[in-house]
Amino acid sequence: MAATIIIVDDEPDLLDLLKLIITEKTEHHVLTTTNPYQALEWCREYQADVLISDLRMPQIEGIELLKLLKAQDKRIPFIIMTAYGTIESAVEAMRLGAFDYITKPFRKEQIIMTIGKALAKRQELLGPTANRNSAP
Amino acid sequence: MGILNWFRRRGTPADRGGLAAFQEKYESFKRLLDANNDTLELMARLEAVAEGDFVFDMQFIRSRSQAILAKVGTIVTELNLLADNRYQALTDLFASLADRISQEIAAPLADEGIPLVLPLTQVDRRHLHQVGGKNANLGEIKNRLHLPTPEGFVITNAAFRLIIQQNGLAERIRTFLDHLNPDRLDELASQSEAIKEAIRGAAIPEELQQEVERHYQQLVATLGYAPMLALRSSGIYEDQEYSFAGLFLTRLNVPFADFFPAYLEVLASQFNRRALVYLCQKHLAHREQAMSVGCLAMVPSVASGVLFTADPMGRHQDVMLVEAAWGLGPAVVDGTVTPDHFVLAKKPAVALLSQEIHDKPVLLQMQKSEAGLATVAVTGEQRHQPALTQEQVLTLGRYGLRLEDYFGEALDIEFAIDPRGQLFIMQARPLLVEAPDTAPGRTATATEKERLLIEGGTVACFGVASGPVYLVQKDEDLAEFPEGAILVTRHTSARYGMVLHKARGMVVDIGSATSHLAILAREFKVPALVDTGVATEILQPGQVITVDATHLRVYDGEVPELLEQAQKRSPSPIVTTPIYVKLRRVLRWITPLNLVDPKLSDLTPENCKTLHDITRFAHQLGIKEMFDLAEKASQRDDIHSVKLKTHIPFNLHIIDLGGGIEASRRAKFVPPEAITSIPMRALWKGISHPDISWAGPIPIDMKGLYAVVSRSLTASSDHSDFWSRTFAIISFNYLNYSSRLGYHFATIDAYVSDIRNDNYITFRFKGGAADEVRRGRRVRFLGAVLEKLDFEVEVTGDLVVGRLWKYPRELLEEKLDLLGRLMGCARQRDMLMADDAVVDWYTEAFLAGNYRFAGCPSQPTPPPAGPPPPP
Repeated sequence: MAATIIIVDDEPDLLDLLKLIITEKTEHHVLTTTNPYQALEWCREYQADVLISDLRMPQIEGIELLKLLKAQDKRIPFIIMTAYGTIESAVEAMRLGAFDYITKPFRKEQIIMTIGKALAKRQELLGPTANRNSAP
Repeated sequence: MGILNWFRRRGTPADRGGLAAFQEKYESFKRLLDANNDTLELMARLEAVAEGDFVFDMQFIRSRSQAILAKVGTIVTELNLLADNRYQALTDLFASLADRISQEIAAPLADEGIPLVLPLTQVDRRHLHQVGGKNANLGEIKNRLHLPTPEGFVITNAAFRLIIQQNGLAERIRTFLDHLNPDRLDELASQSEAIKEAIRGAAIPEELQQEVERHYQQLVATLGYAPMLALRSSGIYEDQEYSFAGLFLTRLNVPFADFFPAYLEVLASQFNRRALVYLCQKHLAHREQAMSVGCLAMVPSVASGVLFTADPMGRHQDVMLVEAAWGLGPAVVDGTVTPDHFVLAKKPAVALLSQEIHDKPVLLQMQKSEAGLATVAVTGEQRHQPALTQEQVLTLGRYGLRLEDYFGEALDIEFAIDPRGQLFIMQARPLLVEAPDTAPGRTATATEKERLLIEGGTVACFGVASGPVYLVQKDEDLAEFPEGAILVTRHTSARYGMVLHKARGMVVDIGSATSHLAILAREFKVPALVDTGVATEILQPGQVITVDATHLRVYDGEVPELLEQAQKRSPSPIVTTPIYVKLRRVLRWITPLNLVDPKLSDLTPENCKTLHDITRFAHQLGIKEMFDLAEKASQRDDIHSVKLKTHIPFNLHIIDLGGGIEASRRAKFVPPEAITSIPMRALWKGISHPDISWAGPIPIDMKGLYAVVSRSLTASSDHSDFWSRTFAIISFNYLNYSSRLGYHFATIDAYVSDIRNDNYITFRFKGGAADEVRRGRRVRFLGAVLEKLDFEVEVTGDLVVGRLWKYPRELLEEKLDLLGRLMGCARQRDMLMADDAVVDWYTEAFLAGNYRFAGCPSQPTPPPAGPPPPP
């Protein structure tokens, strides 16, 4: 099933690479942005299935974005990308309800697998009869 | 003379005593080994990431590059500590590489504070993000390398942004780029024209007008006349690893009165149809677009052309290719005329290997007394004369080598010759070099031969492809180009690059492997043949063909065997994304290894081009320094040493740097079993092997004896010291063993630990009593045995050096054991080697464990074994 995945990171290069990998390996729609607020808006606008976010961004930290997303919609799994050496923050993100974290650099199969698991979680959160289009 | 002055050198801690100073050096050596090991691991991991399976960001590239820089910095420092700062050149080289890497990984500067216009004399790689790759490189060539380049100034990306912003075009351009569809060429043409029109009509901000005026007047003052200008585009992503070959506009011979319309025209060219398609093909369309323009005083070229500092097809090593024609440059890269072709050797010095001079019936020149260019006929003998003199070709080649060396990669260089014969470098950009095709040469099978349509031409991109022929005769034909077709055309026009992302292969009548279209074919990995002469005549539209570019053949229909081979070579698109491109650009200063020859004579700081080279250099020289130090230390009287209690008749003195001898058993005399040093134990095992004889003279033939006696009488060496002391400087992992046995001198320097990357053995054997021929035989014997034992062997005169690196501990222990046996066997063995044939026999005998050489064809009765080793 084609899902909508939103990715936010302050580095356009990483966004391009992730988008290429995900669209090459899956049918999912991928939207990328360097602006966390834009990502949040898209989550609402496009009924996103997964949000993948960097931990460190100039506008707001990934943790803050996670809190805003949770306030907006608890049913969108949030995957956080961290750099080596920021594991504590990743653990903190998990405590605050992030679905998973992934440490850069990571293998392309790893992100595909993590997205797969997040989508299964998404189904579970929506419930067996839930309609994706219903308002949160 | 026993005491050596290394302890007495200025700044060395002689007062602290010999052993303390030695220990300090040894600690440096160990830190060097540790850093070497870490560096190699970091490099290997970074290289693995670059292969295309990972997701990473710029921060990752930065942190890993900095980690490697820190480690290599340690290596350089420790080597200099070890060698009393004798490798200062390496420190300088490291600093320059660190500088280059820092430039590559630097975050782009914000536009604030970036001038709208910069004189070319102030431009270098630090301005990459403001002036684009082409201008940044030209600035480096002018200001760092000081090679002749035109004078001029650069209008930066900041100026482009200012124009877009002040004319309210930013949003329009963004929306336009967001909706690009490279497969709808017709639609694209009208959209592209509208955007270009908007840019052409843009108002030039007042401050930009003033700045350009000011810089032009400065240029006039510098030159002493008001020059016509060449306006050369330098795209924001151009010349990094995206060639954009021939996609943007260059305006030549522009009078200053027409400056701004020409400038806007060049800016608009980044939205021409071909460039837009390329942006889509390279996944760059959604990125910020900007263009900087180099404004250079026109060089009224009498001849011009391109220099490739490597064979782009990777077929020939160490050559450079030059193509040149009369007049201005475009004629060469556009394929308007068939240029003269020169092949230069790079080594040992630049030399002309061959030249092909063609008929050049037309040339492109500046219009006399007005703007624009004119194509004029070349008449008389000039048509067939070489466009460059031999001296010009050689000078160009020498410039090419300097540029390649400086930029650290193969380059595509444009040059021009002015009427006085002065050579100018007009631009330099990375040259994509194909990996040499390893497909074996194959002859077409009988069936294939029947289907052979074309044989010959020039390969522009290796590979095999099959598909229907699509004949392109004019630009309009491109719009209908079907996915998966073979592009067949008459010329190598860069315009045809627009369909290369859809083409499976390409066959062209006329054109060279250096043309823009050929560059694009390689960039898109489209198997391509050019210069076939007949493709458009023979190949019919819609006809399915197989292009075997590698073997210069075109077949009718599909040839499945050939296609199967080709499938194995398909590259991942991931490695062409910008982040991978950036990683590769950083890696070129880090991982390539140029010091592949293990000979010490080639190990010079000048031959180091990358951090990997520095690492290799410092590792090798560190071992050498450590060896020299140990050798010198062994000759000091004030260094405390112990003697080995053994039945074997030589005086083995041991200096323990720590952990080499069981602490509880330290005394003036220690038994062999008290040795805890891993390499020393292993070596001792071999030395004390029951079949090895160290006692008494070895039987010699009379000629050999004569040689020993005569040498003893004539040599100035202290032969009274016939059974000199043998030294071993040890620690738990380290051994430096120097032994003078009879007239030969053998040394072993080894580090053996559980960390494989640190481990090495260096074995040297020199001298001997017999005449040179006989000594040579022994050296050959030793060399042959060492080679069989997997050593890298270098033989110079009667010196044999064997080296072994990075083997696991157990294997090195085994090799040291065998070296112990070999040294025993080699003792005075030269005197027995009466003829050449016997060398092979000895080698085989040793390897078979016949250490007493029983049954040697030219040997008297084998001697009895020495006394048994101590229990």
